[in-house]
Amino acid sequence: MSLYPDNSTKEQTLTLRELNLRVKSAIQAQVSGMYWLRAETSDVRVNHASGHCYLEFVEKNKQTGQIVAKARASIWAKTFALLKPYFERETRQAFVSGLSVLVKVTVDFHELYGFSLTVYDIDPSYTLGDMARRRMEIVKQLNEEGIFTLNKELPFPAIPQRIAVITSPTAAGYEDFVNQLTNNKPGYPFQIKLFTALMQGEKTEESIISALDRIYGYADYFDVVAIIRGGGSTSDLNCFDSYLLAANCAQFPLPVITGIGHERDETVLDMVANTRMKTPTAVAEFLIGRMDLAAEAVEDLYQSLTTLVEKRLTEQKSLLQMLISRLPITVVNLLEKMRSQLLTLGGKLPTASILLVSTQKSILNDRFRQLQQLSYTQLEKNRKFLQLTEQFVTLASPEYILKRGYSLMLKEGKIVKSVSSFSEGETFIARLADGEVNAVVRFVTKKKNK
Amino acid sequence: MKPMEKNKETYQKAVARLREIVTDIERGDLDVDVLSERVKEAARLIKLCKEKLFQVDEEVKKILEELE
Repeated sequence: MSLYPDNSTKEQTLTLRELNLRVKSAIQAQVSGMYWLRAETSDVRVNHASGHCYLEFVEKNKQTGQIVAKARASIWAKTFALLKPYFERETRQAFVSGLSVLVKVTVDFHELYGFSLTVYDIDPSYTLGDMARRRMEIVKQLNEEGIFTLNKELPFPAIPQRIAVITSPTAAGYEDFVNQLTNNKPGYPFQIKLFTALMQGEKTEESIISALDRIYGYADYFDVVAIIRGGGSTSDLNCFDSYLLAANCAQFPLPVITGIGHERDETVLDMVANTRMKTPTAVAEFLIGRMDLAAEAVEDLYQSLTTLVEKRLTEQKSLLQMLISRLPITVVNLLEKMRSQLLTLGGKLPTASILLVSTQKSILNDRFRQLQQLSYTQLEKNRKFLQLTEQFVTLASPEYILKRGYSLMLKEGKIVKSVSSFSEGETFIARLADGEVNAVVRFVTKKKNK
Repeated sequence: MKPMEKNKETYQKAVARLREIVTDIERGDLDVDVLSERVKEAARLIKLCKEKLFQVDEEVKKILEELE
């Protein structure tokens, strides 16, 4: 019984080999000849004894990254000996897993080993194009996230002396790097601390990120991070075109300098690094150069200062010198002027004083005469007034009046001025110049008023 | 702030101050008394900068050696 429709008969049985041979001939009939195949390398390994290279080609779903097709492949020693150097020279990239490649293949089926592809040729430009595209995609993503330029924006320290180095201690470049920094001619004291990481292979990304994490904890103790790798041989740079690594480096709080030893286009790591150098040697030179700049700046400042201060002091000195040289003449001139003024004044003094005294004297004289005159006049005036007064007093006295024939009539000792005061028969006294008469009133006649 | 951060700051500050002093003197309006003060300060700063540039900071060395 069978669940499937069946056109075979039990008489027509096949051995496995017979079946595989049929598959082989079917394959040869349908997919004979050469094909240019686009695929990603995987599980690349070289048999060092034979020189053959065995690998797998895979195709991944672009969105999910899941493997959707897979085929074993071989590159025979004779072909591999030509293709590997050609590919690596053109791409500056080691022939390793994870590369997108365009390879010329034949499809083979072996009754014992099964389905496999055999590589005869490779087009490095395809890989280059693919790597460039991948880099562009990573750069685009970093830009979109706004982190691409973060490390570049960090100010490079004026004196980069404390250096955290990420590299493989076995790498040829490291020792040279340390020697170069330690034995720098001016004698700058670099402090170098190694943070070990794998610098090639699939684990590179993870390993460098872990080293960055370790440095992060001591970020305050360092000025810069140098990611270096000895150059020379063609290398696997694919691992430096990594989004995760680039993102970590871009956001690192210390400036990162790269020197990962290659000549071709920059890797993404180089692009996000604060400073990109080609080799560890170049990194060391750069650091020494920065120290030189700092030292020169201080030296320049010192020179400017010396020159300026000398200039200022010279100016001040010559000003002083000028003042000093002019001082005696000025003083002599001044003294001479004062002396002659004094002399002039001294010569004028006797005349001036005599003149002054005589002027004052004549003024005094005048005043004296004026005073004399005035007092005389005044006295005379007073004397005349006295004379007149005396005359007047004499003329006004009662004795004088009585002598001139007038008489006074007194009643009870008082002078009588009106006839009304008299009554008939009354007595009164009439005083004359030479005596008194006691008289009696006979009658009174009053003058009639008008 | 960590001690080494302070050192770094000091260097930058010292250079900045030096530039300031040079500019001041360049302008030429400094009194000679002030000038001599500034020169003293500048000499001290230059010495400090050169020490930073050329002398091993033992403290830094020790800390880095002790890491990990």
